[in-house]
Amino acid sequence: MLCERCKIREANIQYTEVINGVKTDHHFCAQCAREMDFGQYSALFEGEFPFAQFLSALLGGESPARKSEKYQQIVCPSCGMTYQEFVDNSSFGCADCYNVFDVLIRDNIKQLQGSDCHKGKRPVYQNPAAAGEGGGESPGDGGESAGAVSEGGRLQASAEEQIRVLERKLKEALRLEEYETAALCRDQIRALKEGMRTDA
Amino acid sequence: MRKWYEEIDQSYRNVVSSKVRLARNLEEYVFPSRLSEKDGREMVDRLCKGLEELNGHEGCSYETVNLETVGELDRRDMKERRLISTAILNKKAPMAMLVSETEDVSLVFNGTDHIRIQVLTPGLHLSEAWKKASQLDDFINARFAYAFDEKYGYLTTYPTNVGTGMKASVIVHLPSLSLGKKFSSMITDMGRFGVTIKGVNGEGRENYGALYEISNQKTMGQPEWELADLVSKAAIQLDDQENQVRAMARKSHRLEWEDEVYKSYGVLKYARRLSMKDAMTFLSQLMAGSADGLIHFAEPCSVYRMMLGIQTASLQKKSHKPLDRAELDVARAEYLREMLPELS
Repeated sequence: MLCERCKIREANIQYTEVINGVKTDHHFCAQCAREMDFGQYSALFEGEFPFAQFLSALLGGESPARKSEKYQQIVCPSCGMTYQEFVDNSSFGCADCYNVFDVLIRDNIKQLQGSDCHKGKRPVYQNPAAAGEGGGESPGDGGESAGAVSEGGRLQASAEEQIRVLERKLKEALRLEEYETAALCRDQIRALKEGMRTDA
Repeated sequence: MRKWYEEIDQSYRNVVSSKVRLARNLEEYVFPSRLSEKDGREMVDRLCKGLEELNGHEGCSYETVNLETVGELDRRDMKERRLISTAILNKKAPMAMLVSETEDVSLVFNGTDHIRIQVLTPGLHLSEAWKKASQLDDFINARFAYAFDEKYGYLTTYPTNVGTGMKASVIVHLPSLSLGKKFSSMITDMGRFGVTIKGVNGEGRENYGALYEISNQKTMGQPEWELADLVSKAAIQLDDQENQVRAMARKSHRLEWEDEVYKSYGVLKYARRLSMKDAMTFLSQLMAGSADGLIHFAEPCSVYRMMLGIQTASLQKKSHKPLDRAELDVARAEYLREMLPELS
């Protein structure tokens, strides 16, 4: 259905008006709805995604006002995003935000995702040393930068490899119900992960 | 060259298409929402140049589209064909897209994330789509370093994508199942298996065409293939249940069923005006009838392709001018008369 005001965009807001018992239905698109005056309901249409606001309320915790006051000062040095902005938009400003806001968001991410630890694919060609300075020349020399994995990178990769082997072992042990072996694997994985984090 | 949505894949009767999307960000730039116009332009240029070699890779050629300068109508048209998302429909910033000839593979730069890799296929082929997306991912990663964290995985703008950055989704056609009383509670229950299901064209009874999109709810904690597997399994389940319901109905009310299908064909083939609701409802009947072998076209024909073709922006683009509602209904009927093949 098209918006009855602009007749161009698809209507995605249904507005039912009851005046003196007479009910009328209107269909508007989000853009027109924002431009119109719905009195106290106008605020509903201001944000692009009502869902984002819902999420942000969850991310901010039960009492966003009080919590934010305390954390408002926390600012990501890389992109200048404040914790308040993060809560308002439910989105991160840069990769470093994850680190900066880590303590604040850890539990929320766990709730949102059911886990706080990534499993699955990892970047094959991660080259921390070259990434910063590579600059304009990087296009084209893909093969080269792929080969030039720094010493630290290689160490880390081997630790990751070990973890992956241990994780497989852990799964197998759980399948066979050998819980002692499983516990041992788990501890080793934990130790390796701890080591990697302090190295980095 | 035929687009992916013009191909027909009937390995599962009610599965229309599969999609894998990966969200990736580069290490050296802040995320698009904080990125200055200058840096955004530089990044998009570097990505376009750096990935020039992609042309011809795996026998695929790509066209570069400057999303910043294309008109609003073109953007809406691309959105209808699922090439770009609603989130970037009105975004004003340097953006570009690399899209394959058949439109099955597309890369969007500087949308909600720096890079969005998308692979679409007809039918149920999530694992193939994931493999293809993953290869592209490696191809890009060999040239650009990603923002990746040991704990959180691939870092994305929205915390709902972090981890694998993957969304695997399948579109299924459920005309009978969705009429059942238990359907809405079934949708809620699907959440427990880690998948969400939502109407493609609207919610509840307003979802004309009865197309539903199933996708993974979470993006972290499970490897990509497991997430894709969850979605595939849910799609197979729904496909099977839909088949059972339809088989039962065909057994007891065969004549009524055939009648509905042929009437739908008649209206679509000969009507002079068709609203979106009517067109989608009749196409849905036709889709089911053709999948069940109640009606046969003289030449192969993708009903899904017509469902895309009758969307507003697509029709407006075809007639090269903005159309009001009445004109749209006429253009829609005209398009369907032209596209629908004869019966055999």
